[in-house]
Amino acid sequence: MSRLLRIAAREYGAYVRTVGFWLSMLMMPVVSGLAFGAPAYLESHSPPPLVAVIDQTDRGFDSAAIATLKADKSPPEIAQVRPDPGKPLPDQLKTWLTVGPGGDSARPLTAVAVIHGSGDSISIDFWSNTLTDRSLERDVEGAVADAMRDQRLATLGIDLPALKAAQALKPTLTAFSPKAAAGGKVAFRDRLPGIVGFGTAMLLWMMILTGAGILLNSVIEEKSNRVLEVLLASASVPEIMFGKILGVAGVTLTVLAVWAGVGGTLLFTLRPDLAADVAAVLLGKGLVVYFLFYLVGGYLMYAAIFTAIGSFCETTREAQTLLGPVMALLMIPMIFLTQAIRRPDSPLLEALSWFPPFTPFLMTARAASEPPLWQVLGTGVLMAATVALVVWIAGRAFRAGALSTGKIDLKGLILRVRGGE
Amino acid sequence: MDAALELSGVTKRYGDFTAVDDLSFSARRGRILGFLGPNGAGKTSTIRMVLGLVAPTVGTINVLGAADARAVRERIGFLPEERGLYRRMTPIDAIAFLGGLKGLPTGEGRRRAAAMLEAQGLGDAAKRQIRHLSKGMAQKVQLISAIVHEPELVILDEPFSGLDPVNQQALEAVIRDLAARGATVVFSTHVMQHAERLCDHVVLLARGAKVFDGSVAQARGHAPRALVLEGALDAGTVAALPGVESVASEAIEDGGTRFTATLRKGAAGQDALRAALAGGHDIHRFEMREPSLHDAFIALTGGEAAQ
Repeated sequence: MSRLLRIAAREYGAYVRTVGFWLSMLMMPVVSGLAFGAPAYLESHSPPPLVAVIDQTDRGFDSAAIATLKADKSPPEIAQVRPDPGKPLPDQLKTWLTVGPGGDSARPLTAVAVIHGSGDSISIDFWSNTLTDRSLERDVEGAVADAMRDQRLATLGIDLPALKAAQALKPTLTAFSPKAAAGGKVAFRDRLPGIVGFGTAMLLWMMILTGAGILLNSVIEEKSNRVLEVLLASASVPEIMFGKILGVAGVTLTVLAVWAGVGGTLLFTLRPDLAADVAAVLLGKGLVVYFLFYLVGGYLMYAAIFTAIGSFCETTREAQTLLGPVMALLMIPMIFLTQAIRRPDSPLLEALSWFPPFTPFLMTARAASEPPLWQVLGTGVLMAATVALVVWIAGRAFRAGALSTGKIDLKGLILRVRGGE
Repeated sequence: MDAALELSGVTKRYGDFTAVDDLSFSARRGRILGFLGPNGAGKTSTIRMVLGLVAPTVGTINVLGAADARAVRERIGFLPEERGLYRRMTPIDAIAFLGGLKGLPTGEGRRRAAAMLEAQGLGDAAKRQIRHLSKGMAQKVQLISAIVHEPELVILDEPFSGLDPVNQQALEAVIRDLAARGATVVFSTHVMQHAERLCDHVVLLARGAKVFDGSVAQARGHAPRALVLEGALDAGTVAALPGVESVASEAIEDGGTRFTATLRKGAAGQDALRAALAGGHDIHRFEMREPSLHDAFIALTGGEAAQ
């Protein structure tokens, strides 16, 4: 086995053999499941809110409010309460909300809406125990507003059913595009490439950032443990750098493979039609090829930079100073990624695609809209040349950094790289 | 070619600072060479150039017949001054991995690692993570990883630093074994006693320049011999003895004084002793003290710090 592969295998094993790696991988679905499932579980296992509506206007607003509340996805229970005219209403409401209204209701009310006023000046005093959840309050307000409008329209002699039917009218919109697959008529499948392009660009960004981050920490650990000098005496700089980069790429691809496997299986099981469309876009539009090409280019570029920076640092705090400009650079394409879905051919986006540090992300996002071939080739060649230059400079920096001692700032880093040692 | 390592006119400059200045020496195959000098003398810079980690500004280096050590790195073993290993690896895995980088098949590396760990009394620790080992144990693991591939040239940078006396003795035995097996051992140190016990050949470095290159006996020849006298004497009397260059005196426990008379180069100590006895002085004790490597080092470097 070559030295490069030995270093790669050690790097890969150092992460993948740990229990923490697999635990963190399992944590993702567990946390995602909890994020989606916990609110629904809490909702279904909590007693529904107990709400009362007191209408002092005698205009039927209580019926409208109760009908709206009952139509809610998680409808509250409605309590029937009858205030004692001989006592102040606020005192009675406070008792109902803290102790309960008595009678059939054994528990305190969650909320009480008191509707009062006359003419167009209708007010709702909404008493509630839950200060943060305003959904009940909005339901009652909306229902009373609708009822007020209906009553006003009725007094104006307008036929309400006819008006509602008129309001429901809308044209049938059919989108057409020369880029659409079936006879120019745009279907969801035609829009899917843009969404998938955006998704793959985001995935690429996350993979590059994660992989480069793992590499940075790995090199910092080797530097602080004084292992780098031993490695340098045992293997060449390219063997060490590319070995480490390859090993961490393996770690990142393992995560991707596990997630693609789990996600793909779920998608094929739950939505086979959508899964087939996504697969068609990824394979049919060549997005997979773009993704792999830009993944290799982008990962090499940023991994080499992060590795070189790590070789000068013994702690992550030291690395933060040097990483600032690189992280700022990495954030810029993120700002423009959403734009790539809506306006993949905008001049600004085209121009930014030619800047090699942004090329992997922006061209992946644009790939689905099939940009001109000369742009694909031109940006690709420029990116490849930049990757070669960055890797060469990073190699010099890595050697200088591995043998350096003490803290270093950005100016010192540049001087060392120019000196080569 | 009889030299495993040969440096010719090697200079290393970092900007305006000259770390190593016109250094030339060679290490014969199968011998132990001590590369001596105080801290900051340029030993580590020289070793890094020998290993091909940094290029010399001027001069040539020949390692095992190659102009660049990187071409023969599989035949070299190296223990750096600042030692470290992967903390979460086990000794057996770490040794097999580093041996593998030197061309040793993994299975053979693991077999040798197990045997060498056992020989060093670390058999029980072979499968414990290195972070759980003591500093001395971890240093032994690193030494084993530097020699597991049976290198022809072993370069050890300050190998004794951080070791307790028992482990220092064990390391001396390892170095002797390496030489007995036919390997050339080059080790740097600023502790002269180790070099005195181990080396066939020493190179002394001070402020980046070579100040001596030869055998330990030849090095000692650069330091003056001394005549030690204890008794009813005074410094003036001792200074007047034939061949005496200077006198140092110190009080001793029984209330008397000990005089250490440094002799001129080539002067016979017997003449001074004979003259002292002939003078009728009451001498309780006398001793002809041969110079140590430490004395030679002081004499050759003009008194730079050494232990």
